Amino acid sequence: MAVQRISREFKDIDLSFTPHPITKDLQILKNESAIRRAVRNIVETIPTEVPFDSLFGSYVRASLFNFCDFATAARIQSQIEIAVKNYEPRVNNLRIEVDPRPDSNTFLCTIIFDIIGQEIPTQTFTFLLEANR
Amino acid sequence: MPLTRFTTLDFDQIKAGIKDYLRANTKFTDFDFEGSNFSVLINTLAYNTYINAFNTNMVLNEVFLDSATLRENVISRAREIGYVPRSRTAAKATVSFSAITSANTPTLTLKKGLVCVGKAENSSYTFSTFDNITATTKDFVVDGITYKKSDFNNIEVYQGVLLQKVFVVDGSVDQRFILDNSFVDTSTIKVYVKGVSDTGLGGEYSVVDNIVNVNNLSEIYLIQEIVDEKYELLFGDGIFGKKLENGSVITVDYVVTDGENGNGASEFSYSGQLTNANNAVVTVAFTIDITTNQSAQFGSEIETIDSIKYYAPRIYSSQYRAVTSRDYEAIIKTIYPDTESVSVVGGEELNPPQFGKVQISIKPKNGTFISDFVKTQIYSKLKNYVISGINQEIVDLKVLYIEIDSSVYYDTSRVSSTDSLKSSIISSIQKYSRSIDLNKFGGRFKYSRLVSLIDNVDRSITSNITKVRIRRDIKVSVNTPTQYEICFGNAFHANPDGLNIKSTGFKVFGHPNVVYLTDVPNDDGKEGVISVVEPKVDESGQVIYVVIVKSAGTVDYENGEIILNPVVITETSAPNNVIEVQAFPDSNDVIGLKDLYLSFDVSKSTINIVKDTISSGEKISGVGFANISSYPNGNLTR
Repeated sequence: MAVQRISREFKDIDLSFTPHPITKDLQILKNESAIRRAVRNIVETIPTEVPFDSLFGSYVRASLFNFCDFATAARIQSQIEIAVKNYEPRVNNLRIEVDPRPDSNTFLCTIIFDIIGQEIPTQTFTFLLEANR
Repeated sequence: MPLTRFTTLDFDQIKAGIKDYLRANTKFTDFDFEGSNFSVLINTLAYNTYINAFNTNMVLNEVFLDSATLRENVISRAREIGYVPRSRTAAKATVSFSAITSANTPTLTLKKGLVCVGKAENSSYTFSTFDNITATTKDFVVDGITYKKSDFNNIEVYQGVLLQKVFVVDGSVDQRFILDNSFVDTSTIKVYVKGVSDTGLGGEYSVVDNIVNVNNLSEIYLIQEIVDEKYELLFGDGIFGKKLENGSVITVDYVVTDGENGNGASEFSYSGQLTNANNAVVTVAFTIDITTNQSAQFGSEIETIDSIKYYAPRIYSSQYRAVTSRDYEAIIKTIYPDTESVSVVGGEELNPPQFGKVQISIKPKNGTFISDFVKTQIYSKLKNYVISGINQEIVDLKVLYIEIDSSVYYDTSRVSSTDSLKSSIISSIQKYSRSIDLNKFGGRFKYSRLVSLIDNVDRSITSNITKVRIRRDIKVSVNTPTQYEICFGNAFHANPDGLNIKSTGFKVFGHPNVVYLTDVPNDDGKEGVISVVEPKVDESGQVIYVVIVKSAGTVDYENGEIILNPVVITETSAPNNVIEVQAFPDSNDVIGLKDLYLSFDVSKSTINIVKDTISSGEKISGVGFANISSYPNGNLTR
């Protein structure tokens, strides 16, 4: 049986670099918001973008040149799933839903996951990918 | 925890260093996860550090001669220690031709520049002269019509295109005199400086490579290589060398050449321009046929970066003075770039000693000897470097050839074709014959290396029995009474029954048939007598050897020397008036002593493939096994 780890708190920096309105400190992202950001970073990174780690990222952007249909959606879903499974070890029970919306030429992506080792409810976040055609 | 890894050049290590630092010094945690925002920052930082470290490393590498990789930096470092890298050298040919014209002129002048086009390896190359060549004409009658004919004999033509560049001195401090072309042969550069009050091209300036004996009136210039293999001319400053006047005109003639590609051109077709005594261009009445006196040779490429790195410190350490043998080696390779290997022996090491003398042997890159003309050139250039009172003598290369007679046992069950096995063995031996152990002065043939090399060529080879021979080729002075001394530099194996020394055939004056050399050892086995014998077939059909000259010379087995008494040789069986003389070395490891150049002659070696009937299981008891002798055979001739 796999060892169930208890994670410490996850803390990441916010790349918007907006200072806290009162303390004027740089804002930080904690736990689920930090992980949500990380998942999104992975999906949005184009492979070869990160120095010396040419595989990091997902090929979602390349798929956005294809037709906005279910076939492309399935491909995007698979690409997001592979990328997150490979590069985000803090999540499990990953489910990806990609819904093509030909009228607006977009894909609605919903990513659902649990965070390992934290008593945090299942996370769901959505974002829109706009096809380039 | 401080950041301590300053020296790492690996991106991942730099990144790990930053993460370790953060782990100890921050409340953030997510930098270990590649998708986090923090990882983006760390990647940026690490990449920046990596690029900085890489650039610093590259820059520092370029600062030192040993590690510099860009040519312009290597030559810049070499320049700091006064070394001028060799330029490309144009191949030189000597040609003759006659020009016939209907123009009535007392002289014909071959204009400098393009003279002819030569062919080498299916490519055409242009050949030029540096100067106008004028020849007088004489009457020449064809079909009752009188023409004028001039003979241009033994003209030296250089492969390449003659170009001219003119500079006007403007007096500015930053004016540079750069020849715009790469591939210039700097030895062909001619510089004329026309002062404000001068006429014509002005006076010719001479090139120097250091400022010894240069004063404020010396009309000199220096050459230095700059970027892209181009050259810059440097003139005097009024202290070392005459300073250029404002408004002076500098005319530079130079040849841009194809270097060693031009070597070998032997068929030339005329493409020059002729003028009459009034400097008007004349046409020729008949096609000009060019006779090649000497095909193109001595063309070479620009000095490589490796060569600059090797020779610059050595020339610097020799301080342009030929004192030790290493100095000679460095200097001779500079003044004669076609050198492959040099051997320098001080007279005190010779037997008998010849004090005050230095004996130099040079192995050129192409061929085995250098011409008398080149020798004269080397002597004259060496004079600038040598110590007074020391005489140099360039002796012809003495090649000591090594041949092997190898019987290689193979397991028949592990090989399909003996031909391919034999060719793999020969190709491996050829590789060894080109190795650094051999093909040089002071080389050493390592027997055990060769034997194990043969064993390891293929897994079907079970063993080998290899016999070593050494050979010298005597270049015979045909029809001239000559004494020959052949030094092998290695002790001979002396079999008391003789047959140690063998030769190819030759004919001697007064005897019509082909004869051979053989030896008869004295009782002590240290020395022996060389005899000349002739093979004859007796009445029973057996070949017997009749002694023609009983005492034709002596052999010193211990020192490996053969002396032939004065003899008139009229003809040799081997081509080029050569007699091949072979001996068996006492030690299977053969050395190239003093001025002997060691060369492994694979073409005259023999490889026999023999079935190993024991290993292959044919005759496991060993009965009928083909035993090969490990000792020299009993034939009298080569």
